[in-house]
Amino acid sequence: MIKVQNLSKKFADNTVLNGINFDVAHGEIVVIIGPSGTGKSTLLRCLNFLETPSSGVIEIAGVRVDSETATAAQITSLRKKSSFVFQNYSLFANKTALQNVAESLLTVWKEPKSAALKHAETILQQVGLSEKIHQYPSQLSGGQQQRVGIARAMAAKGEVILFDEPTSSLDPEWVDEVLAVMKQLAVQKQTMIIVTHEMQFAREVANRVIFMEGGNIVEQGTPQQIFEHPQQQRTKEFVARATKQSLTALDSAML
Amino acid sequence: MQMPLDVQYIIELLPILLKYLSVTMEMAILGFCFAIILAVILAVVRVLKLPLLRHLASVFISFFRGTPLLVQLFLLYYGLPQVLPIFAGVDAFTAAIIGLSLHFSAYMAESIRAAIMGIDKSQMEACLSIGMTRLQAMRRIILPQAARVATPSLMNYFIDMIKSTSLAFTLGVAEIMAKAQMEASSSFKYFESFLAVALIYWAVIELFSRLQHYLEIRMNRAY
Repeated sequence: MIKVQNLSKKFADNTVLNGINFDVAHGEIVVIIGPSGTGKSTLLRCLNFLETPSSGVIEIAGVRVDSETATAAQITSLRKKSSFVFQNYSLFANKTALQNVAESLLTVWKEPKSAALKHAETILQQVGLSEKIHQYPSQLSGGQQQRVGIARAMAAKGEVILFDEPTSSLDPEWVDEVLAVMKQLAVQKQTMIIVTHEMQFAREVANRVIFMEGGNIVEQGTPQQIFEHPQQQRTKEFVARATKQSLTALDSAML
Repeated sequence: MQMPLDVQYIIELLPILLKYLSVTMEMAILGFCFAIILAVILAVVRVLKLPLLRHLASVFISFFRGTPLLVQLFLLYYGLPQVLPIFAGVDAFTAAIIGLSLHFSAYMAESIRAAIMGIDKSQMEACLSIGMTRLQAMRRIILPQAARVATPSLMNYFIDMIKSTSLAFTLGVAEIMAKAQMEASSSFKYFESFLAVALIYWAVIELFSRLQHYLEIRMNRAY
């Protein structure tokens, strides 16, 4: 359903993505891991054209855009096929939780107001926020804000939801409630591409794990292949370190 | 030897001048409404870097900030009808409103633009990510947030505009400044007449300053 061909991104003379190729099937959950600054977030942002790729072709659910000839109209129709969950939530500050979720339904999909609000309310219920629908983002905790962020992405009618480190700016106490919502989406076979440092989550939820470094896909496979039998030296080192870190975190948590 | 200050004359003059305050306020309010509309368009054109239009907007802003309001009013009312006869039918009151709104829109566009630039970039990204166009994002999310930031400085421009309407008397508009001038030249009480008109401006603007303060408190409460 998603096809990425030869996707490159250069900032001045710094190459951030180096000819990336990958496919994602409908209902698949792909987790992208790798050290900081290796282009994971840039890749995700390119899929949504929040960054304009330097070259390459992106196809999502039948909308095919060549980044070198892309028009504004093509980009908008590609964006309608996906939605994005931001690291820092990026909720609309002047809208309530309900209005945040309803916005795409009203403005992009031109649903009548009452239907849109009702639909938005149902989605907020699914992420466990029925009590908070009339609160402004500034009145919500980080975890609640990110759940609204996910609800907003769910409402946007995209075929795939892109998650850019959705738990990285959360206080530890809010991480689980956000991951729980994502797991629930996984059960519903929602297609997702997730950039995260939550290795345990990747192991449990992903159908496929992609390890990226230096703007390249180094290795990809099932969670078992990547975490237990990595083939590449760099993957082995990264996975060993990442797993050790979470073990250390576990240790200190138990102390 | 005359009395240094004829207080009685001022007290009698005030109600006469106040009758003309409606003309002043009409110019200020209409001018401000047009100026805001134009300023928002100019600011959005510049922020979104719309091709061609952005250059027109830059030249427009540069010209109307770079020349005195009085010169602009004279150009518009006395000059333009000579080259474009269609403007000959424009009366002084309308010309003053057009001149004021063009002039102030240039300044207001810059403060609205600054307010838009001050809104976190992630707000625009969030709009785009759910499939909105940049214009939809502006209208629904960015401008409402920028409005809150820009309100104090826009209110200052409104206050400035009220005072600038006094220049309309040079086009022959019968507003309070023109009336004060007329009264002064018939009574020769220049000091009293202009003091009276100054007091009226001061009172009106004091009133709007209070209103501005109240409005800011209310807007900051919104979210």
